[in-house]
Amino acid sequence: MRGGSVLIEAEGLSKIYRVGEIDVSALKAVDLKVARGEFTAIAGPSGSGKSTLLNILSGLDTPSDGRVSLAGTPISEMGGRTLSDFRRDHIGFIFQAYNLIPVLTVLENIEYVMLLQGVSRRVRRERVREMLSTVGLEGMENRRPPQLSGGQQQRVAVARAMVSGPDLILADEPTANLDSATGAALLDLMRELNERRGMTFLFSSHDRMIMDRARRLVVLKDGSLVQDVTRSGP
Amino acid sequence: MGTGNPIGPPIMLFLIKIAWMNSFRNARRTLLAGLAIGIGLAALIFTDGLMIGMSDSIVRIATDTFMGHGQVHAEGFRSTRDVARVVKGLPGVLERLRADPEVERFSLRVQTPGMLASPATSGTVLLYGVDPGLERPFSRVDEAIVEGSFLEREDRRRILVGSKLAEALEIGLGDRVVVTAAEAESGELAQEMFRVGGIFRFGVRELDGGVGFAHIETVQRLLGLPGEVHEIALHLKSFSGTGAMDAGFRSRFSRNGNEARSWRELMPQLSAILDMSGFSSLIVGVILFAVVSLGIVNTLFMSLHERIFEYGVLRAVGTRPGRMAMMILFEAGALSLFSILIGCGIGFAVTFLYSVQGIDYSGIEFAGVTLRELIFPVLRLEQFVLFPVCVFLFTLVAGIYPAVFAARLKPAQAMKMYE
Repeated sequence: MRGGSVLIEAEGLSKIYRVGEIDVSALKAVDLKVARGEFTAIAGPSGSGKSTLLNILSGLDTPSDGRVSLAGTPISEMGGRTLSDFRRDHIGFIFQAYNLIPVLTVLENIEYVMLLQGVSRRVRRERVREMLSTVGLEGMENRRPPQLSGGQQQRVAVARAMVSGPDLILADEPTANLDSATGAALLDLMRELNERRGMTFLFSSHDRMIMDRARRLVVLKDGSLVQDVTRSGP
Repeated sequence: MGTGNPIGPPIMLFLIKIAWMNSFRNARRTLLAGLAIGIGLAALIFTDGLMIGMSDSIVRIATDTFMGHGQVHAEGFRSTRDVARVVKGLPGVLERLRADPEVERFSLRVQTPGMLASPATSGTVLLYGVDPGLERPFSRVDEAIVEGSFLEREDRRRILVGSKLAEALEIGLGDRVVVTAAEAESGELAQEMFRVGGIFRFGVRELDGGVGFAHIETVQRLLGLPGEVHEIALHLKSFSGTGAMDAGFRSRFSRNGNEARSWRELMPQLSAILDMSGFSSLIVGVILFAVVSLGIVNTLFMSLHERIFEYGVLRAVGTRPGRMAMMILFEAGALSLFSILIGCGIGFAVTFLYSVQGIDYSGIEFAGVTLRELIFPVLRLEQFVLFPVCVFLFTLVAGIYPAVFAARLKPAQAMKMYE
């Protein structure tokens, strides 16, 4: 963990799924702290518990045991509407694919979270324009997702995740469906945003590119945290 | 970060937009579901139109044939059939009838049960004495004559008998028959001889098999009731078939020992059958839409599962459970509006076509009335307001189950379901 204030604090996280008659332990007593401004990758082979950990840290799923706090708020004890509002205001999401609502334009996709927040139209439009410029998609606000390439769609997803200025950007295998050049460009963009705006990024991935670009690498194996490395330098 | 109240019209409009556009993402499925619901609605519109047309036709046949839209009798006459109970204050009643702007026309009648004897045999008959001048334009007795001709003002010995009665008594045109009935005052038997002047066929069992018509003055003499009548049958100008009769009708003529009754009270069995057929249409409608609503649930679930990842993303980025439910309900509403457009279009086209062409049900007997004319389905505003509103509400109710499912969906679970 770097020296900033703690953003995420997870203690003794466990998750047990019931598959038929068998209990499968996806996470086993994982402890993790992430500071504000970190650019962290959670790595590990398939089935190691990366997505489960990410889901629990972001309040998309509940732990079987343990607790999670985000910005000092114990989210593992929240539910329903409160949790939805918390996610809306504090976390930005980027998934590996199907991030966007195909029937909405780029502009509408990006402003959706702000609409949920009740942000005025004028402010929404200003922020969308600024984000589109940041991710290099100026002039594409009226296109719909099917009219964009995979890389462009992920850039829109990045813009949507960041537009409301959340505490944490959470990305679950964001480059999984992209070719390597497009994936690398997307990662460079996110890294740049991390450095320039100090936003906290947390990835799950088994992509070598992400692992190489992450400042901190957390490795999971069979649901347990087996390695936590912080790198220095660019 | 949020800057205002998240509840407000913009997000609702946005959710409506997403729902509306989502409805047409799988155009073929939406079209098929819309057709299924729309055809159900069209069937309901057409069935309702047909039932109204048929009911109106049946009532018209029943009232125009002989009964009239309403009748006036002395109090207690209908229940006792006592021939001594004649209409009270007849001149005054007639004066009011002639002055009443609602009354189109009327006919005066005396009636008595009697024995009709032919040379071969005898049988019971309900003999009506009618005024030929008033009865001819009032009822359809004249039109129903299949042999001979209607009563003449001058020929007071002529009797008209139903085809089935003629057959039973083995009589034909020109044959002599004798009617025996009890005098009103003394109760003693009196007789009149008639000659068969006409044979009628209404297609109504009771009329064809047990009724005879003769000149009113002859029957009045037979009963010892000169100048008196038992029944005044009348037609109203504003008669609306199956609709309720003017409430004032009863009060205007139910006075001074007389009682006025509408066709519904005179033919309670027909009224009950018509009410029942309306109720059975309602049941058919409910069953139809219950089946259709299962289709709606299926369609919504199919679209929900198809886009489960998207719904997971929407939940993840902060859409509240209630709003997810609303979005599904909006989608159900969009499907419903689309279906209503189809249903109203088809329903109007088919009903209008047959309301012009008519449907031939002639010869079919319903509630003791034989249909003799084309049935014309009736278009009403309610069919295009009330039924679509019902369809809309039905669709929304059907959408509750998938909406609740979507609201309870956990984002991680939704994304896992997709995988």
